[in-house]
Amino acid sequence: MSKKSNNSKTNKNINASLTKCLTECEKGEEVVVLRVNAGRNAKTRLANLGLVPGVKIKKTKNAPFKGPLEIIVKGSSLVIGRGLASKIIVECNGACLT
Amino acid sequence: MSCHSPKNKSKNELNFKDTINIALAGNPNVGKSVIFNQLTGLSQTIGNWPGKTVERMEGRLEFLGYHFNIVDLPGIYSLSTYSLEEIVSREFVISEEVDIIINVIDATNLERNLFFTFQLLELKVPMILAINQMDILRRRNIDLNFKELERIFKLPVLPVVAVHGTGVHQLLEEAIELVAYRRPHHHSRGKRLIESKYQNRPRPHSRRKRSIESKHRGLHYYRVEHVLKRRESKGILKKSFTFPELHQITSFGKEVELKILSLIEKINSYKQIFSSCNYPSRFLAIKLLERDSEVINIFTDNEEGKVIIELSQKYRKELESIHGEDINTIISSEIYSNIKKIIDLVLRTKIKKSRKRRTLADFFDHLTTHSIFGYLILILIMFGIYFFTFSLGDFFAEIIDNIFVIFSDIVYINYGADNNLVKIFWDGGVGGLVGAIGGVLVYVVPFFLIIEILQDSGYLPRAAFLMDRVMHSLGVHGKTIIPMILGFGCNVPACAGCRIMETEREKKISVALTSLVPCAATMTVVLGLVGRYLGFYWVLILFLINFSVIFIVGRILNKTLPGQCTELIMEMHEYRVPNYSVIFKQTWVRTKEFVFKAMPIMLLLGIILEILLIFNALEPINVILSPITVLWLGLPAITGVFLIYGILRKELTLVLLSILASSLNVPLIELLTPIQMIIFSLVSMLYIPCFATVILIAKQTNWKYAIQISLLEITLALFVGGIINFGFLIFTSF
Repeated sequence: MSKKSNNSKTNKNINASLTKCLTECEKGEEVVVLRVNAGRNAKTRLANLGLVPGVKIKKTKNAPFKGPLEIIVKGSSLVIGRGLASKIIVECNGACLT
Repeated sequence: MSCHSPKNKSKNELNFKDTINIALAGNPNVGKSVIFNQLTGLSQTIGNWPGKTVERMEGRLEFLGYHFNIVDLPGIYSLSTYSLEEIVSREFVISEEVDIIINVIDATNLERNLFFTFQLLELKVPMILAINQMDILRRRNIDLNFKELERIFKLPVLPVVAVHGTGVHQLLEEAIELVAYRRPHHHSRGKRLIESKYQNRPRPHSRRKRSIESKHRGLHYYRVEHVLKRRESKGILKKSFTFPELHQITSFGKEVELKILSLIEKINSYKQIFSSCNYPSRFLAIKLLERDSEVINIFTDNEEGKVIIELSQKYRKELESIHGEDINTIISSEIYSNIKKIIDLVLRTKIKKSRKRRTLADFFDHLTTHSIFGYLILILIMFGIYFFTFSLGDFFAEIIDNIFVIFSDIVYINYGADNNLVKIFWDGGVGGLVGAIGGVLVYVVPFFLIIEILQDSGYLPRAAFLMDRVMHSLGVHGKTIIPMILGFGCNVPACAGCRIMETEREKKISVALTSLVPCAATMTVVLGLVGRYLGFYWVLILFLINFSVIFIVGRILNKTLPGQCTELIMEMHEYRVPNYSVIFKQTWVRTKEFVFKAMPIMLLLGIILEILLIFNALEPINVILSPITVLWLGLPAITGVFLIYGILRKELTLVLLSILASSLNVPLIELLTPIQMIIFSLVSMLYIPCFATVILIAKQTNWKYAIQISLLEITLALFVGGIINFGFLIFTSF
């Protein structure tokens, strides 16, 4: 990868790279998990299901009335309660803009 | 320590049997139960794990001269202590009841399924990997390299298409080969059997023709290597990282692995002390690091164990500070990164860019989770369950009742209707049985059918998705809606369905809420009394009151039960066409269970009630209950007995009322005033779950809780009924 393209990418990232919680994501947005600030049990469960830091996830559905949301992790769809989802910190790496 | 220890082996040889015990393990919705059904057919039994509220599915079959005992383990994602299912599964797998695990893996979701495989590998029990849904993988133009997988895991890996039954019996052939190899006594026999079979008939999969010898060598290697490793583990730290291949796949990154090895060393040196536990030391070491409460309990018994726990805690803190993450997350990440490497080796997409087409399943998925249509469909399905169970059940109930009446007449003519023995045995015993069949079973069977269809198609998680928010205000997460929806058909199986809840607290709240859902039998009372004489609006009002009571009970339990509401974490798998053979078999098995477990008790109650009637013991009951029925609820005194009967079968309250009306030759509307009708229906709706439901609540939780719930519901029903009665009195007096 050339230096130039690398630069432009980082520039783009500065604009686009945002840390936010999963609940703030748009429907259809693809993000990378940064960390999960939940309790030990929930954290273990999520980790077992493949939701570990660094993994790419895609938010696919939002339940109405501030209900749970659905994400795609490693090819399987997972429903997560909103309270827990707000504790999952993700990073938007520019891919979501397209 | 491990199940391969010489002590266990000699035990196996002593108890020489031609029985192979298999445990089917895997994630939920991977087709495990389909394979189980294909293998065992109708010979299944449902029971509970000893002392646990987890369901145990067991089946038998005979194949190539061997008896197979197959246990279908609950679908789980990991072997931690997240849910009771996980604890039960891992304790069972390492027990001596299991010879071989068949790990069922969904080919379309290899990554997450292999995570569980990795956990099972740590238990060091002989294993066969069954890769299911190969047809879908092929349709998606993805290639899976089985040879490579077998080489990596040193385990037999077999392709399976469970819905068509393809490859299912090959799993058993493989199991025989494995057992024949593992158990010297079986060796020649198993080989001979298999060979003779292949001489007559070519193997269905030519791929399997590959040298069995090499596979065995692999397994042998797996076992010997395991033993050697345990022997050498003392000095292993000094050696550099040259593990045999198998350990390369399950081993973690250097930091974690070093800590685990040092823990293994410690654990192995205390081997004698922990001879009671069957877990391999590596598994114990990993679980100690993960702060697994069950494993820690094993070690807390004595001083030396506590030293190990302290060491593990020290290691954990070190690791957590290095990685800046929770230990469970670290270990899971390590496993997933190992899996990623394997996936890259074995999976190959033939056509790189395959655009995903919108399928019918996607359309349904979109529709049923839509913010408007989703709820409409949910309501439609609730009504659908009710009408389906109701209309089909009624049809058969009428037939059965008519037959009983005909036979009753014959019995009365022959033996006299006043004969006490006839009363006890015919009216009580046979009548109770017919009542159980005609009043409950005919509703339960169509209902089981519809549950299985809903479950197999994958609709139920969508309902949980839609209702999660609402259920949270009751102290449980969305999954509770699943048994509650089922409750519209019949509370009895619905309460049994509450086992899907993960924690004890949620199970308790769920059964309580589910037992309050108006079932088909309750609906007959409400529709037959209030609906018929007062109009549909009153029915709606009664339902509104019913749902408010559900809400109140939920709030009360949420406040009183210790613990906190857990968040919903649930997999939502794709819609699929239900497998009819599975549906019918499951319906049959569940019906069988119901007949043998709940019916005898109902029969006994029928006889007792009849005896009470003969000795006129019910009249005092009316008198005793009259302060409640007459003074507080404003009902006629005779309704006291009806309400007692209603405990057995809810719709009996209405049936007895109409019998009384017809014997007095007055229409029902003159027997009860409109307000009495409303109160009577409402109390019938709420006052207690029917007896079969109480039994199931007790089975899911315990008897104390079942009685508590019954008392709570009686109190609430009387409270609401009384308020309406007095409210009406005050209202009319003005």
